[in-house]
Amino acid sequence: MKTVTIDPITRLEGHGKISIFLDNKGDVDNAYLQIPELRGFERFSQGRRAEDMPQITSRICGVCPVAHHFAATKALDDAFNVDPPSAAKKLRELMYMGYFIYDHTLHFYYLGGPDFVVGPDAPPAKRNILGVIEKAGVEIGKEVIKHRAYGQKITAILGGKATHPVCGLPGGVSKGLNKDEVKDIDKMVKSCIEFAKFSLKLFDDIVLQNKNYVDLILSDPYQLSTYNMGLVDKNNKANFYDGKIRVTDQKGNEKVKFDVKDYYKKIAEHVEEWTYIKFPYLKVVGWKGLKDGKDSGIYRVGPLGRLNAANGMATPLADKEYKRFYETLGGKAVNSTLAFHWARLIELLYATERAQELINDPEITSQKIRNPVGKPGEGMGVTEAARGTLIHHYKLDKNGLIDKANLIVATTNNSGAINMSIRDAAKGVIKKGKVDNATLNMVEMAFRAYDPCFACATHTLPGGMPLEVNIYDHNKNLYKTLKQNL
Amino acid sequence: MKTIVLGVGNLILGDDGVGIHVVNEIKKQIKNPDITIDEAITGGMNLLDLLLGYDKAIIIDAVKTENGENGEVKRIPLDDFTTMHSCNPHDVSLIEAIEMAKKMGEDRIPKEIIIIGVTMKQIPCEFGEKLSKKIAKAVPKAVEMTLNEIKKDIKISI
Repeated sequence: MKTVTIDPITRLEGHGKISIFLDNKGDVDNAYLQIPELRGFERFSQGRRAEDMPQITSRICGVCPVAHHFAATKALDDAFNVDPPSAAKKLRELMYMGYFIYDHTLHFYYLGGPDFVVGPDAPPAKRNILGVIEKAGVEIGKEVIKHRAYGQKITAILGGKATHPVCGLPGGVSKGLNKDEVKDIDKMVKSCIEFAKFSLKLFDDIVLQNKNYVDLILSDPYQLSTYNMGLVDKNNKANFYDGKIRVTDQKGNEKVKFDVKDYYKKIAEHVEEWTYIKFPYLKVVGWKGLKDGKDSGIYRVGPLGRLNAANGMATPLADKEYKRFYETLGGKAVNSTLAFHWARLIELLYATERAQELINDPEITSQKIRNPVGKPGEGMGVTEAARGTLIHHYKLDKNGLIDKANLIVATTNNSGAINMSIRDAAKGVIKKGKVDNATLNMVEMAFRAYDPCFACATHTLPGGMPLEVNIYDHNKNLYKTLKQNL
Repeated sequence: MKTIVLGVGNLILGDDGVGIHVVNEIKKQIKNPDITIDEAITGGMNLLDLLLGYDKAIIIDAVKTENGENGEVKRIPLDDFTTMHSCNPHDVSLIEAIEMAKKMGEDRIPKEIIIIGVTMKQIPCEFGEKLSKKIAKAVPKAVEMTLNEIKKDIKISI
């Protein structure tokens, strides 16, 4: 096989771009993903009031405002040396569950699910939520809309606007819950639990009972054996709001476990010249390029990363599903990228069960929701965004203004893995230069599983899609461009 | 006629926030109980949620075009789009969200949705609150076009 040397591709801004390079036989030599990496956050933050960070950072990502809001709030707890009252922590976590409910619902039914429910090779015009409704029925569509809205409503009751929360303060939250609100939330949560169970049943019926889909999930192009990362509680069960960062190896054994305060001792970021996005890796293993396996420090975050990094789920129904997940897919760790979708639904069930535990906790109506802050210093906070581990780190000056800020966001944590998944999927499905929309979708499925997010709200016009694939021949001439709706 | 005027964008992402700069100007000029003026940093489903219950929606947003110049202002009825996708992959397009809602029997979708789009070639990638020169120049024009759009249906005194 002829080796093609690839010049660094120009760093591109704007929407996502996949570049696939073919060899002289028309097979895939390599593939690269470029997604916009927002720059200048540290400079932007300097001199701002620290307590504004939960509001400012909730604007960083149009889809995970709640995750940024609380990663920032927790970093401020630490920076102001204050431990919030237990009721405040529970209120924050309850709101967080609302966020997981709407975010995971949206991804499964609208974004990731259509590939399975409608079919990976269905025409793009059919492979969307409308296709899902056509197949599953209007009644199911109504349930989807209802429960996504419930998730948002729970978040809004606790945090103000769901898309722009205002409740997190260093040392606690600004608002508690009254009995009527508890009643409202309780009713919605009960319904959400049933909806999560239904969603898992749907996944079972449509995906797991279909041998072709199970084979697809387990097929080579979608396997990637990286390390896995996620927050765990003291029993090593997955947690979204708090805990220690645990990393497990390709067989599910613990590699490292650390407090967010040590993140910079454990994680380093590699820079490649062809993209602005950084590639985080485990320092103890080292950077070995875009490779998987135990000698490469690349790890995965998000639903699959979290399940692999934990020893189970902390609620009974989700834990049962967790066990079935590993029994069905061949034990730990599950390294199939397409298993992200199932993992996401198990997490949806956990979020609803955990929300029920919290709303039934008598302390949830406590009005002791804030502790006084101490002197400003340095602080770090971590949460699990729907799409993976999110770290905020601030240094404050003596007046409580931001001196330094550093963030590691979920999609950055996954950047190495996403790139490799795209490359491997492309290698598996593109042969002899034959590329069409169905093939392209098989490549995109590797990308979509991670549910990556970009930050801006700009619309593309008209019909410009957020992902573009350019395919180059062995002389690096543009061979084909494909654009497709995500 | 209940109308919503919605600026869409991210205020801390430079030119992406142009829609919000425009509605901030509109807010200064209009006080009318039939007109809601708001801002949003979202697309697709969440955007549709904000529009429900109004007869008409005017959305002011940055739009990335492949051919146009930076800072042109265009009035585009939503019906002219085949898709209108924000640049975030974790979302569906507004059109898709509307079709889905219609299918579910949603009857609060505005009868008319107009986009006042400020064109740009690049999606902004650097944090900042200021607009670039060309985009800042487009703000008065976008304000004027938005006001004209409102005046078509509602008598307002400015």
